Amino acid sequence: MLDIAKKALAYAEAADVEEAEVFVTRSRSTSIKVYQKEVDELASNTGSGFGIRVFRGGSVGYAYSSDFSEESMAATAAAAAENAGVTAADEFAGLPEPPGEVSQMDIHSPRMAEVSVADKIGIAREVEAAALGFDDNISQVEQAAYNEAEATVAIANSRGFAGSYRETTCFAFTMAIALRDGQMQTGISFTTGREPGQLDAAACGREAAERAVGLLGAKQCESMTCPVVMDPFVAAGLAGVVGSALTGESVQKQRSLFAGLEGKAVASGVFSLSDDGTHPDGLASAPFDGEGVPTSMTMLIENGILQGYLYDTYSGRKDGRPSTGNGIRGSYRGMPHVGATNLRITGDSLPLRELIGSVDKGFHVSEVSGIHSGANAISGDFSVGAAGHLIEGGKLTVPVREVTIAGNMISMLKSVEAIGDDHRWVPFGGVVQAPSMLIGEMTVSGR
Amino acid sequence: MLLDERLMQKVISRALEEGGDFAEIYAEKRSSTNLSLEDGKLEKCSSGLDTGVSVRAVKGRQTSFVSTDGFEEQALLEAARLAGQGVAAGGGGVSDLRLEQGGVVHPVRRQPSDMEVAGKVVLLEQADRGAREAGSEVAQAMIGYSDTVSEVLVANSEGCMATETRTRVRLVAHVVATREGIMQTGYESIGAHRGMEIFEEREPKDVGGTAAGKALTMLDSQPAPSGKMSVVLHRGFGGVLFHEACGHGLEADAVEKGASVYAGRVGETVASELVTLVDDGSISGEWGSNTIDDEGVITSRNVLIEAGVLKGYMYDRIRARNAETTSTGNGRRQSFRHPPIPRMTNTFILAGDSTAEQVIGATDRGFYARTLSGGQVDPATGDFVFGVSEGYLIEGGSVGTPLRGATLIGNGPEALMNVDMVADDFEMNIGVCGKDGQGVPAGSGQPTLRIQGLTVGGTEV
Repeated sequence: MLDIAKKALAYAEAADVEEAEVFVTRSRSTSIKVYQKEVDELASNTGSGFGIRVFRGGSVGYAYSSDFSEESMAATAAAAAENAGVTAADEFAGLPEPPGEVSQMDIHSPRMAEVSVADKIGIAREVEAAALGFDDNISQVEQAAYNEAEATVAIANSRGFAGSYRETTCFAFTMAIALRDGQMQTGISFTTGREPGQLDAAACGREAAERAVGLLGAKQCESMTCPVVMDPFVAAGLAGVVGSALTGESVQKQRSLFAGLEGKAVASGVFSLSDDGTHPDGLASAPFDGEGVPTSMTMLIENGILQGYLYDTYSGRKDGRPSTGNGIRGSYRGMPHVGATNLRITGDSLPLRELIGSVDKGFHVSEVSGIHSGANAISGDFSVGAAGHLIEGGKLTVPVREVTIAGNMISMLKSVEAIGDDHRWVPFGGVVQAPSMLIGEMTVSGR
Repeated sequence: MLLDERLMQKVISRALEEGGDFAEIYAEKRSSTNLSLEDGKLEKCSSGLDTGVSVRAVKGRQTSFVSTDGFEEQALLEAARLAGQGVAAGGGGVSDLRLEQGGVVHPVRRQPSDMEVAGKVVLLEQADRGAREAGSEVAQAMIGYSDTVSEVLVANSEGCMATETRTRVRLVAHVVATREGIMQTGYESIGAHRGMEIFEEREPKDVGGTAAGKALTMLDSQPAPSGKMSVVLHRGFGGVLFHEACGHGLEADAVEKGASVYAGRVGETVASELVTLVDDGSISGEWGSNTIDDEGVITSRNVLIEAGVLKGYMYDRIRARNAETTSTGNGRRQSFRHPPIPRMTNTFILAGDSTAEQVIGATDRGFYARTLSGGQVDPATGDFVFGVSEGYLIEGGSVGTPLRGATLIGNGPEALMNVDMVADDFEMNIGVCGKDGQGVPAGSGQPTLRIQGLTVGGTEV
């Protein structure tokens, strides 16, 4: 793979450019969907492609292709150089300094290829069975799925960087449907890992069923202002939005609610948020980012105080800071952009029971919808659909649906009163390790 | 054509030798150009090409799908072998291929490749200027442009062979306005299954200016109220509510599993008699239109709800086969790397008899949702949510204070029954709909209309 990258790099360097970089990926993925014990769909994809980024006179150009022939490499290099002809020149544009040693990371498991397809189908079946077996109110499991991906990434650039790594990820996902007295409720869950042996299929099925059954009989509650407990799924979604606003790029371009607040309190003292592209358990970990910069741990908010932002090479240079290794590459089709790797909410935690027990009258939210449309990382406005339970006298009571929770994001972060001890990795809002969180006051809109 | 007929026959036969009673090959060649401008500077210019094939084998209710890059014969036959093996027990027959004829064409007067990149840059600069000139409080404008030319070819064991070249052009503007520490945003986009001529009909400058106008208006906004209110949906953007509130629940994959509130209800009244809901992938030039769907079925106009009565669902080939009916031309996929699933194309509510002024005038106290920012639905329960990026309070029959930070939440079946006024000012809007990890271009539209008793989720109790 690195040889392919170097070959394409030679074409790029031959174009009339000052700097060039080639990013190559090859991936293989399998997805298995099971419905009523039978395989509904078995899909496998193999795909590869490369992207060439060039700099000429401070301007950047990009082109990509899934065709690795020599003619295609030459045409793609030429297109990248031509594209650089129209972008604006910028003194901060350019490739990163070559890093010293890049450490290898244990993010690839040969086990994934060794496990048979039949056993992987078995995982999806086990998820479905666990959900169906949880409770008589589970009428069916709409989806029980197993997904896996193996990818190889290689980067070579004209400053001498040449690196590659391989990674594996897999997950199982399910949505269970509970039915009682004509009312349907749904619940979802998932389990993630580097290889199938790390997945807990039974727990995944049970949790989805428990979430669906727990909402049976749910109805709207009165509108009110009250303490809100977000479970880890919900807290992760919020952390994802907060993380997207904590990039150097969004601050420099005046589109972050955190602009100009470095060193200031933006959250309560019990709340900390970091981004860690090196975390051994985080599925977004990699030895280097999408432009070959080693990943790192970046403290974003520590005990409520804003510590700094995430940077790629370009936005870092603009602020006179080093890249934090957050030049993210979605695929070979796009240039790197600043983004989070593994986000982690940390801080002194309370046992979950005490956290909920401390609320006399409030709302426990276990499901939100419309985060992409209802959470604005620029204005800070936050209003999303929610379902969960009322908290009365420190206990979960009546199930609630069809309400919204709303507030301003910084006010919400400042009124975080406690975080729970139930941290877990959640694939919502990116890859996030999130606990339950008690927010002192939010508006719940219902009847 | 991307592949010759003989090779396609061979691939389909190869799949069926291994397994399946139906097999299909889908080939695609897609080139695109993406530009983005921010901070007044053209920051990104990228272009590229993707080519590949997928093979699908189906046996009963089981589907096996394999995709691979490029058009190389050996790779295609290997994909076919794997796809067939995935369902095993083969034996399906292969019919001679015949090319599908007919369907609506989407004329492209000016191909994206006919304009140099420098010319496209000018379009973004004009949109940026339109935004900057809208007011001194405009702090940032992000302009994005994309064009895609995708050639698709599909053939299957029933003998259907179809091909289409799809050209789509899109321009979007996100604008941020600031005043004394308050930041608000505005959004506007245009796009079509057509060429560069769309910019002759609507100038990029106007797209930027409209987005900026929304952001500036929202600087004067007050926090939105909470609780149940009459909601007036402004024409165009409100279509996304019906896309979420009932469109997804009428897609046959949710229906066949009973995971939709609309399952088994054809012929029943599911909406107010003012509501006629249509999905039409055959409107010439429209963003969500295609001549054929991604399984080679010619697209058509499908009435889903007529005067409140549920008429039918949206099917792809597989779900139609399971339900012993025919595909409605709604089998769509993001790319050759994705299996087709039932999806909306352009989904809209037909115009009514009132005027927009009458709808607003008849509302004593309500919420006027002028621009929506997208939403989400749980098809099983029908509960939906969507964000309002530009909303106003209606008091005494007229539009007043702008309101920020509101999300509307409701239940699809209830909301449909509660539509009590529909105006005559129909308009379409464009978007990208996400489902099962696949994004496809989707249009939605409606005239201005009123829904009684939706919950407005603001911060003021």
